Formats: sequence, structure tokens, C-alpha cells
Amino acid sequence: MPSKESKREKAKEVVDILEEISILLDTDLDRAQLSLCVSLIENGVNPEALANAIKGLRREVKSNEKALQDIRPESSMSD
Amino acid sequence: MGDQHRVSRIDAALSQLFDSLLPADPATINDPTVLRWLDKLVHNARDSVHAGQEDVPAEVNSAQDLIRRKLLRENASPEKAARFSNLYSRLLSMPVLNQKWRILYLLHSLSENQFPVNGPRSPLAEIEQQKLSKQKVQQGYPRYYEKADSDHEEPPDRRTSVEPRAAVTSPKKAGLASTHEVRHDVTNSPPKPQIAETAAVPSELDLLRDLPFSMQGLSSKSYQFVSPTIVKLPSSLPIPIISLLHTLAEPCLLYKTLTVFVDAQDGGLVNQSLRAAISGELRSYLGLVATLEGEIRRALTAIEKGEDDKKSVRAAGVTLKRCVIWTRDATMGLRLMALIVEDSQRKRGGQIISLIHGLLASHGDPFVAGFAERLLAHVARPFYDILRHWIYDGELVDPFNEFFVVEADPMLKADVDPRRVAMSVWEDKYKLEAELVPSIMSDDFAKKVFLIGKSLNFIRNNCGDSDWVIHYSQANSKSLDYESTSHVNLSASIDAAYQTTMARLTHLMSNKFFLFTHMQALKRYLLLGQGDFIDLLVESLAPNLDRPAHSQYRHNLTAQLEHAVRHSNAQYDDPEVVRRLDARMIELNRNDTGWDCFTLEYKISPPCDVVITQWANTQYLKIFNVMLRVKRVEYSLNTTWRKCMTGARGVLSDIDEKLQGDWKNARCLVAEMVHFVNQLQYYILFEVVESAWATLQKTITRSDATLDDLIEAHTKYINTIVQKGLLASTAEREDGFLVQLHNMLKCMLNYREVVESLYSFSVAEYTKRQQSATRTEKRTAAGTSRASTPVVAGARGDRWSAMSDELAKDTGSPQLLPSHAGHDSTLLTGLRKRMSDLSNDYHTRINAFLYDLAHQPDVDLRFLGVVMNFNEAYKPVNPRRQKRKEKGKSSDVQSQAGVSRPASVVPTSDAGGRGEGSKAG
Repeated sequence: MPSKESKREKAKEVVDILEEISILLDTDLDRAQLSLCVSLIENGVNPEALANAIKGLRREVKSNEKALQDIRPESSMSD
Repeated sequence: MGDQHRVSRIDAALSQLFDSLLPADPATINDPTVLRWLDKLVHNARDSVHAGQEDVPAEVNSAQDLIRRKLLRENASPEKAARFSNLYSRLLSMPVLNQKWRILYLLHSLSENQFPVNGPRSPLAEIEQQKLSKQKVQQGYPRYYEKADSDHEEPPDRRTSVEPRAAVTSPKKAGLASTHEVRHDVTNSPPKPQIAETAAVPSELDLLRDLPFSMQGLSSKSYQFVSPTIVKLPSSLPIPIISLLHTLAEPCLLYKTLTVFVDAQDGGLVNQSLRAAISGELRSYLGLVATLEGEIRRALTAIEKGEDDKKSVRAAGVTLKRCVIWTRDATMGLRLMALIVEDSQRKRGGQIISLIHGLLASHGDPFVAGFAERLLAHVARPFYDILRHWIYDGELVDPFNEFFVVEADPMLKADVDPRRVAMSVWEDKYKLEAELVPSIMSDDFAKKVFLIGKSLNFIRNNCGDSDWVIHYSQANSKSLDYESTSHVNLSASIDAAYQTTMARLTHLMSNKFFLFTHMQALKRYLLLGQGDFIDLLVESLAPNLDRPAHSQYRHNLTAQLEHAVRHSNAQYDDPEVVRRLDARMIELNRNDTGWDCFTLEYKISPPCDVVITQWANTQYLKIFNVMLRVKRVEYSLNTTWRKCMTGARGVLSDIDEKLQGDWKNARCLVAEMVHFVNQLQYYILFEVVESAWATLQKTITRSDATLDDLIEAHTKYINTIVQKGLLASTAEREDGFLVQLHNMLKCMLNYREVVESLYSFSVAEYTKRQQSATRTEKRTAAGTSRASTPVVAGARGDRWSAMSDELAKDTGSPQLLPSHAGHDSTLLTGLRKRMSDLSNDYHTRINAFLYDLAHQPDVDLRFLGVVMNFNEAYKPVNPRRQKRKEKGKSSDVQSQAGVSRPASVVPTSDAGGRGEGSKAG
């Protein structure tokens, strides 16, 4: 369907644009995460809350990266 | 349904997202703690997402603006921002997404920059914060970063301070704290090296801390006062700060100079009060400095304590610039004061007041005017004190010579004439110095004030009326100062004081010291106003005074004076007046008669001698002298006339046929002379003296007469008399009035003597005739008794010769031989000749006199000439033309007569000649 295709095209274009913007802004989101965020927001999630959540997660992960690194070899070793 | 679907979709998406964020797959992890931790993370994230479901207000363009600004801020080149704008426009054109701005907002939030986002901010606030932050970066205040950080990220109650406190909360919080710290380390490291570089330069806060001290003129580390006029600034500061410091240095230096002035001790009262006023102003300046210091300290402590109140952050901008603005008013005031101080170095007293008042009255700036008014109130206070003392007590309390009334320097009066001592008490004791009159008083005022004080002083010291002065000062003394008495009030009080004082002084003068009485007495006695007294005096003194001067005795004169007083109306006069009357001999020369040396005297005691000064006294004496001469001539002429008249009826009637012509001439001339003298006396007494007296009375009985007025009026009175009364002594000019008058009087006296000798001659003739008649009778009766005749003849001859001897003695003519016929005729011829000479002389003189009178500018003198010549008996002749004619015709009879006249005059009348010589004017 041309509409569908165009829609998909347009969606893709939008995602492209957004991706470019996010690179400009240096948000560290990849395409998949970006599309998920877009769909979340389209569904009515508060962007501020979402952003906070993402930032919090990132922080936690960063601060405990060492600990996690300890875990990972173990896990890999255990595997 | 849709909702649930949506929610499930959201959940699915969320889980997917979070999983992607996590570093490791939860499925692969075995560690239960880690698992638990991861689960908790996800759970928290989901919670936060759901919690924040409430809508953020939709603003379509704000997200875009935010992003753009952010991009601009963070990047040197606007390239990214341009690209973003491009992209944004493309995005907008796409119809795909509904919540574009939310996505953008999300992206914006997720971007890595640390700056707080707290809703839309004004661009200015942003710029200011930027600048502040840059400043702080320069000065190395890393704490600010932390504050900015913690502002947004955490809710307030969970904020932590800088110090790494032990984690009170859960490990998550500790973790958060540690992340803060970590972040700090990251962010702190770049500015740190900057701090190390700028450690040598005094920071702005250091300068601010030093500022209150430097504003008081004290040196500090960064702000050194090398000398009272130079400030040394550290050279390593950036230029804008240096310029600010320069501006701030001005009040500091001014303050230092002013404190030096204020601490000095010299100068007069006004200077001291100026110092006091300025120190008051400096104190308020110090108050300002204290406030400033408080502000600075508060700001510094606010910064140090790290309060999170945003306002204190902004207000912590107590910068040097702010201080400049705060001290601007104070600087202007200090500048003004420095100007005043400098100007006042060269001035003193009233000039300083004029200076400040000039600022007040004529300067346009209201700030300056208000300032000057405050100062003026202080500075004028000692001036008003002195003024008060002067006006109400008559005392000059002026230790530093600042008032415009100065006491005359006693050193300068070494050469003053001792006769002027009395007047100097009034005139010269105080002087008005015009340059010290301040401009708050007009010149009129100053004069009035001067007069008031002078009079009060005079009253107190010389009139002995200090009681009244004290009473007056107590009753009326009001404190004067600049504010409470406006100009009107001050002038009103000065006017009142003036009138009271002057009235009191005049009252004292007239009632206590009988000034007017004395003036009148002077007129009566010295100006011959009291006719009967003078006549009596002259009559009784005449035989005495005809004798030479050195044979007079003072007690004789005084006795005669007493006699005259007692027998005239003068005895009814005030004993006070009579007491002062005295007779005196002046300046005896060798051959004077008593007439020349005699004078009356009227003693004036102080304080009246302020008005009737010594000079006035001498003038009075002069006038008296002249008038006495006239009186004397009048008296002698009168006696002669009397003799003639009585003799005409008796002795002289028989010899009419021989001497009739002579007698007629004599009588005519004597009549003329009498007329002349009378007219002169009338003129002097009535026209001159009385009219001047009337003027004087009018002036001195005016209600607002001051002592100065009195003095002036009296002087004018005397001057008028002297000028109009022909008494101006222009002794150098030969044809001055006084000289002419004296000559004429001499002439008259001579003529009188001639008449006297004629009279005695006539009497002798008469007696001769009588005797010859009796002889004839006897001869006829007793026949020819030749024996008796020679006896009788001898006796007669003896008597005749005795008489002729007497005559010779009187007239001084050469000794007559006792031969009747020749003797008679010689004598008669001599007498006749003399008479005709004298009458010619007299006529010439009077013609010249009348001519001069007619050409006077004064109306009264012309009138005198007219009155003397009322029947045009004389023909006024210009004496100068006469003299020229005389000189031209050397063989003229008249010239001969003129030449011989003095020769003939001199031997006959000794007194007259010598009188001319001894006339001192």
C-alpha cells in the first residue's frame, strides 16, 4: 500500500531525523532505544519521568560497573 | 480496554528499554544480590515513570528553544544549532508524530550536559549566571558547581553538603553521594590549576574585605597609602578592577586629608566650628563605611557558608562596582568638604561663612545646597555668639579677630594727637572691617550692628550707666543662630536693639550729661549770645585789658568775670553751667595788651567731649576771639560817641565855629563805623549763629538721632558759623575776610583814638577859652593886675603844658612846645591830617570789603554787604584793580598816601600794630 509505505517511509524519516538530533545532543541512545522511547511517549508517558528513569539507570550502572565486572567474568566462567 | 492495551504496551516497551540499558542480561546472572539489585533498579525506574504521569505543560516551541540554546551554549560554532534548526523544521513538516515536542524534550533531558533545567528561564538570568559562573571559575570557587548541581537533581531534603559525610541514608543514597563526589572530582580538576595560577593576585573578595579599612584611610595589604595623597595599588590586577579601585580611592584619600584638617588645632572660633561640622560629616561617612562593611561581611559569610538561597547568591555580588555606586554620594560630599577646607585655609572669620553661604545661595545643585546648609548651621554658631555679645552687651568677645568689628590696635596710635584722645574713645576704639562681614548680613546690617555695640560699650564705659546695660542685656538677650532666626527675625531684632540703644544714648546725653544745655551755654557765652553779660564783662574788663598783658593777673580777670556773672542774667543760669565758665590768658607775647590774650573758657567734661570735641573747642575760642574784638571796638566807639554827644551839649558847643568841621567829620565817620560794627554783629549773631543753631536743634531733637548724627551735626554747625561768619582763617591771603576785618577794626580803634584826642583838644580849647574869658573878666574886674596875669598865665600855662604833656603821652606825638598859638595849630593840623588819613583809609577798606562781600557765592554774605551799604554811600571798588592802578601810577597821591598810611598808623597806635603781628588766627 502506498500509504502504508509512505507511512513507513515517513516514520523512518522521522526516526532518522530524531536520531540525528539525538546525536547532536549527545544523548547516547541508539536507534532501538530511540524508537522504543518514541513509542513510549506516543503512548503518553511523561518524558521527564522517562528521562529521569533512564538517567538513573545509567548512573547506577556506571557507579557499580566495577562490581558488575566482577560478576560478569564469574558468570562467564560459570557458563 | 484501549487503556489497558496501552499500558501493557508501555510496560513491554519499558522492560525492553531497561534491559537494553543494563550492562548484563539478567538471565545470565547468578548472584542473588546483584539480581536483586538489578530488579530493584528496574522497579524503581518503572515507578518513576509511572509516578510522573501527570502532564508537563505543553509548549510547542519551548523544547526547540531549549535545545537550540543548549547547543549554542555548549558549542563554539553555531553549526550544530543550525543543523538542529534544519532538522527541526523538517520534523515539523512531517505529519507522523503527535508528540514531537515531548520527544525533543526527552532528548534534551537525556543529553549529557550537567546544567540544571528548571523551566523556561529569562535570557538575562542565564547570562548573568553564566558570567557569575565564569567569574567564579576564574577565582576558583568550585563549590558553586556543587550547588548548581545539587539544585536540580535531588529534592531539597535529600541534598548533601560538600563534605563527604558518612552516609546516613541507604547505600543508594551513599552511592548517590559518591556519584556526586565522583562528579565533583571530574569537574573540579580543570579549575584547580587555574586557582594555583591566580593565587598572587588579590581576589575581589579580598579587595572587598579590605575596602572598609581603606575607606577609613588605613593601609591594607592590597591598598597601601604611601602618603596622605597617594595610594599604591597592586599592579597585577586586571585593568577594569584597577579603574574601579581608582574610583574608590578618591573617598579614601579625601577622608585622609579631611582627618588631617580636623585634627589640627589652630585657627579661630569659626575654624574650630568648621572643624566640628566636618568631623560630624565624617562621622556619618564612617557610618556609611560601617554599613558597607556589614554588607560585605554578610556577603562573604553567605558565600562561605554556602547557603542555597538563590537570593544570597545574587546578593553575594557585592562587587567593587556596587561599592562605587554606594559611595558616590559620600564621595561628592567629601569632595565638597575638601574644597571648603582648602578655601578656608586662606580666610578667616566672616569670610569662611561667606564662602559657605555662597555655596548655599548661589550653587545650583540641591545636594550642594543642602550640604552647605548643614555646615552653615554649625559654622555660624560662634559668629552668632559673638554677635549676640556685641549687640546685647556691647562687649567684643573675639579672641581670634574674626568678627567684623575690630578693636583698634593700640600700637598704631602712638602718634595720635593727645588733644584727640576724647574723640578717639568713640570714633577710634572700634573699627568696622568690611571684608570680614559675612554675606549672611547685608552692609546696612553690619553698620547697625557696629553702631549698637559701640554705643553700648560707650554707655557702659564712659557714661557710667552699666546698670542699664546689664538690665537691658538680661531682658532682651536672645540666642541667635542661623536656623531659628530667619533673615526677617534677625533683622527685626537688630532693629529693635538699635533703636533702644540709640534712644537710651541720646537720653543719657541730654539728661544725664546735659549735652544740649552745654551747647546752648556755649552759644551764650562763647558766641556772645548773652548780651548783658558780655557787655558787663567788657565794660569791667576794659580798663584792665588796655594795659599790657604781663601786668594782668588771673585772679583779677576771674574776679571781673564773677562780677559780670553776678550782675547779669547769667546768675540765674544753671550753676552747673556757670561753674564751667572761666577766664584765661593765652599766649602772652611781649607787647600784647590784655585784649589779645584774654579769652573765656568753657570746660567740657567727658563724655560730652565726644560730641563737643577738642577741635570744636578751639573753633569756639577762635570765634570768641574775633567777636570779642568786634565787641571791644564797639564798646570803645560807643563810649566815644557818648562822649561826643554829651560833650556836644556841653563843652563843645562853644567852640563850634573853630572845630565844627572837624567834629562833623568825626561824628559822621564814627557813625559810619558804629553802623558797620552793628551790622556785622547783627549779621554774625542772627544770620549766622542763630540759623546754624536752629539747624542743629532740629537735627539733634529728632527722635532717631544717633550719637554719630549728633557729632556730625555739631561739626557742621561750627563749620557753618566759621565759614559764613567771615571767620575762616585764611591768614595767608592778604585780602581774606578775617584779615580785612582785623585791619578795619584796627583802623576804627585808631580813629577812635584820634577822636579822643580831638575831644581832649576840644576840651582843652574850651578850657582855654573859659580861662581867657575869666581872665578877661578878671582883667576888666581887677584892672591891670599884671602881677597875677603872669602867675595865672604861668599857672594856666603850667596846666596847659601839663595837659599837653598828658596829651603827648597819650598820643605819642612829638613833644609840644608850651607855646599856645603854634602849639595849638600844630596839634590841630596834626589831628586834622590824621583824621583825614584815617577816614580815607577806612573808606578804602570798606569799599574793598563790600566788593568782596558782593561777590561771595553765599546769599547771606551778599545780604550783609547790601545791608551795610543800604544807602549806597559807598562805592564798592575792586581792591585788586586798585592795587594795579596804584602800582602803575607811582607818583599818584593815593599811592603816596597808601605808602605813608601804614607809616602814620604805626607810631600812633602801638596796640593795633602789635595786634596785627600777634594774630595767630
